[in-house]
Amino acid sequence: MNKKKVSLPERYLTKEIGIEFKACLYFFCILFFYCVYRVIGGSLHASIIHMTEMILLTYGMGYVQVYLLSDFDEAECWRMREIFYMLLCSLLYTGISLLGRWFDRNPGVTIGFALYMMLAYVCAFLVYKAKRDIDAKLLNEDLKAFQERRIEDEERDRDS
Amino acid sequence: MKFTVIKIAEGEDEVILKYRSMTPETERMIHLLQSGSKRLVGMKGKTQVVLSKSEILYIESVDGKTFAYTQEDVLRLEDTLSQLEHLLNDINFFRCSKSMILNIDKVKCLRSLPSNRIDATMCNGEHILISRTYASDFRKRLKGGRAQ
Repeated sequence: MNKKKVSLPERYLTKEIGIEFKACLYFFCILFFYCVYRVIGGSLHASIIHMTEMILLTYGMGYVQVYLLSDFDEAECWRMREIFYMLLCSLLYTGISLLGRWFDRNPGVTIGFALYMMLAYVCAFLVYKAKRDIDAKLLNEDLKAFQERRIEDEERDRDS
Repeated sequence: MKFTVIKIAEGEDEVILKYRSMTPETERMIHLLQSGSKRLVGMKGKTQVVLSKSEILYIESVDGKTFAYTQEDVLRLEDTLSQLEHLLNDINFFRCSKSMILNIDKVKCLRSLPSNRIDATMCNGEHILISRTYASDFRKRLKGGRAQ
């Protein structure tokens, strides 16, 4: 049996990778909404300043989610606390979008963006949940195979 | 009790136990020697109980004391968790957290939890958490490997 200890840098790196992944995921979601808004508005150009703001914001929000909001989008189930965190984060994104004029402070689009972010969080939660369900299925298959191998080994030992 | 270990170059391995009167300690040692490595001796209250390794669901260390949990009983063990880790050097016994050793044979089902943790439901319905630190080694163990 092993004696394993995860070092502090390893622990930090694991969290950091999770945050980077979240930043990519939510940045992609926001960028998609932003691009659709621009295309519908008749423009085929995206502002580098806006995109930089989005990247920095999603990265910062990743830290907030992981260190302050109990990584709520990866929670096992959503209770009132997780729903509150989801609303809070969606509102923070919406507030920054207003400040940064990502959608030209258009009220309709801004409300749409808030709803879209809520939907993005719900989808992220469902994706993480589905991933865990598949993982559990594979784990149980491995467990069954392990236990069967053990029974076979014991029978072999008894015979010999 | 005097204790001597002698390494021999040839001949059969042998254990000689000399005693003047049968004490609980001597009795325990005889039990252990007779049952080979398949049994452990635990205390249930003031009674000494010999239990088969296969009966153990999990072993837990609480406040420096070690307990073996079986389907019906909780037995106090003399050895520390680290000593038991070496003693239970079977593939089915897995150190699943700082304070626990799990018998994989007695796991009914597994559930994947957030942050790469695993919840093991034992055959008596109890839930054991396999911490993130040990989860990847647990996965390797299930696939037939032994983590270093």
